[in-house]
Amino acid sequence: MNIQELTQERYSLAAVRAISEQYQEPEWLRQARLAAWEAFMALPWPDYSEETWRRTRLTGFNLEQFPPAASDLPAAADRQALPADLARNLAMIQSAGALVFSDDRLIYADLDADLAGRGVIFTDLRTALRQHEEVVRAHLGALAPAGENKFAALHYALWRNGAFLYAPPHVALEKPLQVITQVSGGQALFPHSLFIGAENSEVTIVEDFVGGARGLCNGVVENYPMAAARLHYLHLQNLETSAWNVSTMRAAAQRDALYRQLQASWGSRLSKVWIDLEMEGPGSHGELLGLYFPQGRQHIDHHTNQNHKREHATSDLLFKGALDDKSRSVYQGIIRVWPGAQKTDAYQKNDNLILSAGARADSIPGLEIEADDVRCTHGATSAKVQDEYLFYLMARGLGRKTAKRMIVQGFFEEVLNRVPVQGVRDKLEAEIAKRVGLE
Amino acid sequence: MTATLEIKDLHVKVADTEILKGVSLTIRQGEVHAMMGPNGSGKSTLAYAIAGHPHYEITGGDILFDGQSILDMAPDERAKLGVFLAFQYPVAIPGVSFANFLRAAVSNVRGYKEKARAGVSSNGETGAKVIGSELMPMREFRQELLAKMDRFNVDRAFARRYLNDGFSGGEKKRGEVLQMAMLEPKIAILDESDSGLDIDALRVVSDGINKLVADGMGALLITHYQRILNYVKPDKVSVFYNGRIVLTGGPEIAHMLEEKGYGWVETEMGELAPAAPDHA
Repeated sequence: MNIQELTQERYSLAAVRAISEQYQEPEWLRQARLAAWEAFMALPWPDYSEETWRRTRLTGFNLEQFPPAASDLPAAADRQALPADLARNLAMIQSAGALVFSDDRLIYADLDADLAGRGVIFTDLRTALRQHEEVVRAHLGALAPAGENKFAALHYALWRNGAFLYAPPHVALEKPLQVITQVSGGQALFPHSLFIGAENSEVTIVEDFVGGARGLCNGVVENYPMAAARLHYLHLQNLETSAWNVSTMRAAAQRDALYRQLQASWGSRLSKVWIDLEMEGPGSHGELLGLYFPQGRQHIDHHTNQNHKREHATSDLLFKGALDDKSRSVYQGIIRVWPGAQKTDAYQKNDNLILSAGARADSIPGLEIEADDVRCTHGATSAKVQDEYLFYLMARGLGRKTAKRMIVQGFFEEVLNRVPVQGVRDKLEAEIAKRVGLE
Repeated sequence: MTATLEIKDLHVKVADTEILKGVSLTIRQGEVHAMMGPNGSGKSTLAYAIAGHPHYEITGGDILFDGQSILDMAPDERAKLGVFLAFQYPVAIPGVSFANFLRAAVSNVRGYKEKARAGVSSNGETGAKVIGSELMPMREFRQELLAKMDRFNVDRAFARRYLNDGFSGGEKKRGEVLQMAMLEPKIAILDESDSGLDIDALRVVSDGINKLVADGMGALLITHYQRILNYVKPDKVSVFYNGRIVLTGGPEIAHMLEEKGYGWVETEMGELAPAAPDHA
């Protein structure tokens, strides 16, 4: 087999069919894959005149260069048997259950026996598909469909595995659940996360992505907080700074549901992240918190959408980023209020702190309002760490680096204060301290 | 030993404009030296230059602390020597609590960092470095902070508020006094610590300065008005005009200025050149 044939096989109809074959997938899923492949072929590569891609260029990106991820880590019998860094990462949070993936292979899983007894399903998507096919069929791709964008289409054609949660009605989990995905270097991974919080349930999920040097991580996350459910999703993107990262995330909050997402975008050379919050039910409440701190030549792009379809819903978005070196960030956000979505209360704010003359932050907040009795507020700020601030702190005896770190940590405090899991907050603070540079 | 801060024929430029044109004075521990002058005469420039602001270029002269030049020292090194600047306009740092900031500052100035590096932990034990050992122990710090808040009439709620964020003018100046009390400087430069204060706040600030001077601190009290000198009794008063000290004497000078106004200085000194901008 020559190289030409090899690369053709990586991204081809045959490769898509081979996945369905390999896993003996049900017919509906085979059809979904084929439809996704068709959508992928039909959709153009990003057109830089398109608003969502205007400030983010995929220069140097070549899909053909990434072979499909092939995990080489062995399965672990308990947490201690995991590679040290993964075990340490798990230990930072007191969780009621954990899934650890090496690429598309689940290498470790545990779940509090009591929760399992109460009907909580926390496993990989493959297992869920075998054991709860109807639940998966009803939700997979129903929220963030394949036709959403070219990368989502590619994802649905080629995904192999991911995390799955089902919290039954009226079950509240006190401790969070953890998912860690270790991505191999130089390869392409299409992880799918599907989390369902049934009526009046409460659950917190902390999902980490690590590794992925020189590779592509192209994930889709679907979150379903059903009526009166409380679903907290904390996404920690900790990929290597040479990784390409594209992520399509969507949550739909039903009547009186609470959905809260934290998006921490630390890693990757380039990230293109879409986060859509669908306020589907009246009285629902959504919160989106974002953190980023690019350095070097990192490029971090978030595109958010607070979509208010029904009345009396509230949403609150706060994205904060510090930028160093020659890094770049793009924040594009829109609040959409549909006709009839009266008494909507929506807030959107993006603040940037520029630490270097070579860094640049673009912020494009927006509103589209088709109801008349609403309150929508949006804003963006961009500030530099001024010498006056450093001088004030230094005149009190703080070294230059400590002074700078204090200003940056203070800047992020507004977001950190709202992080619901202490272990995650500690991790975020450690990341920030690492980036500012300890004295 | 009594520490002295000696300023010798200091010339300072800001963005190519000479603001200080040869300033000489000596401040000793336990003394209050009032520096009065009209707006734009260069008083704040002197304060910033002593504290080491990077935008102020020293083009001549020297600043000596106990006989050693501090011109090559960064602002934090000067703070560690025992030099303190109470700002006219303290900046707000959102997200940083007053207590956390002050604990880091006090720890640095008192050398907890050096002790930690040398392998001596904050409770005196030697051995491996532990996380947080660069900071003054929390309990000790808290006790001292609360005691000083009470002694200097600062509301205990300050500790948890973000540094100067949303503070009124009076609260900011009280905060500066509290910082000064915690950092225990040998010499403090107080840049218009009285400006914009109502009578109650002025009393609190003056009372704080008096207590610290009684404890042995030396103060350079920069002010536009004579008012604060009713509460803080200066040992010496200098009149600052157009980048120079034009007159030095006892407290009587302040009263004379109060009566005759700064116009008198202008006429008397024959200095009719336009005043330099005040970089406060």
